[in-house]
Amino acid sequence: MKKEIAITAYKCKQCGRIHYPFHDRCLDCKGRLFEPIKPQGNARLLAYTAIYNLPWGFDQRFLILGVAEFENKVKAMGQIKADSIDSLKTGMVLRPSWEPVRVQAGEDVYGLKFEPIP
Amino acid sequence: MRDVAIIGAGMIPFGRRDEDSLMDMLAYASLKALDDAGLGDKSVDAVYVANMGAGILQHQTSIASSLVDRLSLLPAAADVVENGPASGGSAVKNGLLAVASGYYDLVLVVGGEKMREVTGWRATDFVATMTHPQAEYPYGITLPGMGGMFTRLYMEKYGVTREHLLAVSLKNQEMGALNPYAHVEMTLDREGIFDSPHAVVNNPLAADPLHLYDLCPVSDGAAALVLCPLELAKKMAKVPVLIAGFGQATDTHTLQEREDPTDLKAVTLAARQAFEMARLKPGDIDVAELHDAFTILEIAESEHVGFFKKGEGGKAAAAGKTRFGGQIPINVSGGLKARGHPVGATGVAQIVDIVFQLRHELPGNRQVKNARYGLTVNFGGFGNNVTAFVLKRVEP
Repeated sequence: MKKEIAITAYKCKQCGRIHYPFHDRCLDCKGRLFEPIKPQGNARLLAYTAIYNLPWGFDQRFLILGVAEFENKVKAMGQIKADSIDSLKTGMVLRPSWEPVRVQAGEDVYGLKFEPIP
Repeated sequence: MRDVAIIGAGMIPFGRRDEDSLMDMLAYASLKALDDAGLGDKSVDAVYVANMGAGILQHQTSIASSLVDRLSLLPAAADVVENGPASGGSAVKNGLLAVASGYYDLVLVVGGEKMREVTGWRATDFVATMTHPQAEYPYGITLPGMGGMFTRLYMEKYGVTREHLLAVSLKNQEMGALNPYAHVEMTLDREGIFDSPHAVVNNPLAADPLHLYDLCPVSDGAAALVLCPLELAKKMAKVPVLIAGFGQATDTHTLQEREDPTDLKAVTLAARQAFEMARLKPGDIDVAELHDAFTILEIAESEHVGFFKKGEGGKAAAAGKTRFGGQIPINVSGGLKARGHPVGATGVAQIVDIVFQLRHELPGNRQVKNARYGLTVNFGGFGNNVTAFVLKRVEP
């Protein structure tokens, strides 16, 4: 079953700036009141890389990662489901999902994954 | 506030030092700096120890207390300063402020890290602990990974090419090969890592588009400085080096929250503060040590501190303007790329290298002629905490 994306972003009630992750004060206006919002729709790829020297806890040859912006302007990092980085391009549209991104202490850790939309 | 000078500088060779513990390295570098200052058996008032990972890598905490005990510097005040890869710069700042305020007269600052006693996986994970614990770390992002994303954005925006990155890599390896303290004392051959069909094996992708030789090594090492008021320094044997300017600035923890992720605001601000305090301009600097954990960072920092306009740093490196003997020699020590990057030591080591330059103590193939002013930039996180120092030779 498809899981809901369990990320909450925060829209400043004073100036409208969207924050993810959480801040106690708005990065622009210092406001302290925020409206929690969920990422919506697909996402546009802003930056990406493939890393080949992986940290402890990843048993794979390489990992493709990127930062993407959702349709409601929430920006977040996630793993990218692609066979090769060569198939990616800045600005392309990605479909987000909430899936296991690593295993810690024998437990799946869930996070954002993005898949290019053909 | 009093003017503060550096009267002692010492460093041990960086690299893989299996035979030495972290405490050994901190002690050796400290003794070299104390001896360089000519202090003999005299004690110091305070010790600041820059270190990022002893608690994780060595399972050892309170290392400043251990060090003053080992060096018989009791009852000197002792503190650990942890600020990621900018720990060194932050520790020197603490020493500077302590002496400038008049609270202490003689301060030892030492930075060290022992990273090679764990596997590469563990070391990579350790460095990645400075990423955001919810928004970044779980995904497996590494600092080279951040460097890879930054490099692609910089290439897309400013036209930086692999040739530009290569120029930095070759230059710093060439200079590191001349530096007896460098981790990687080996020159690189362009053919072997770029032109030849074997380059894909010799120099594989590490964090696309960064390749293996765009990255600094994982190192063990330590470096130390002794600070005192300028008036006292003038009575000492060595040429004093004045800490003429200091700056520090921070930026958002995650890259994604920066309006323009290619804009290293904290570098610009820290350098600007340091130049303003020193009443100098980028054009006055004779030699600089920039934080080239990745080749792209040397290029980007050379622009953000004001040596070159945005988008011109890569071309300047490729044209030889940042080489030894060029318009502004950058990383004559070999930089992090070749001298190595024991994270807690780096910010101190950069200043040690500039002290050697400003005292005109280096051999001719590394000594920048008549060097009077130097700049260091110590880059923490991915530019979210940056220190900068402007150093000045005090003529005897």
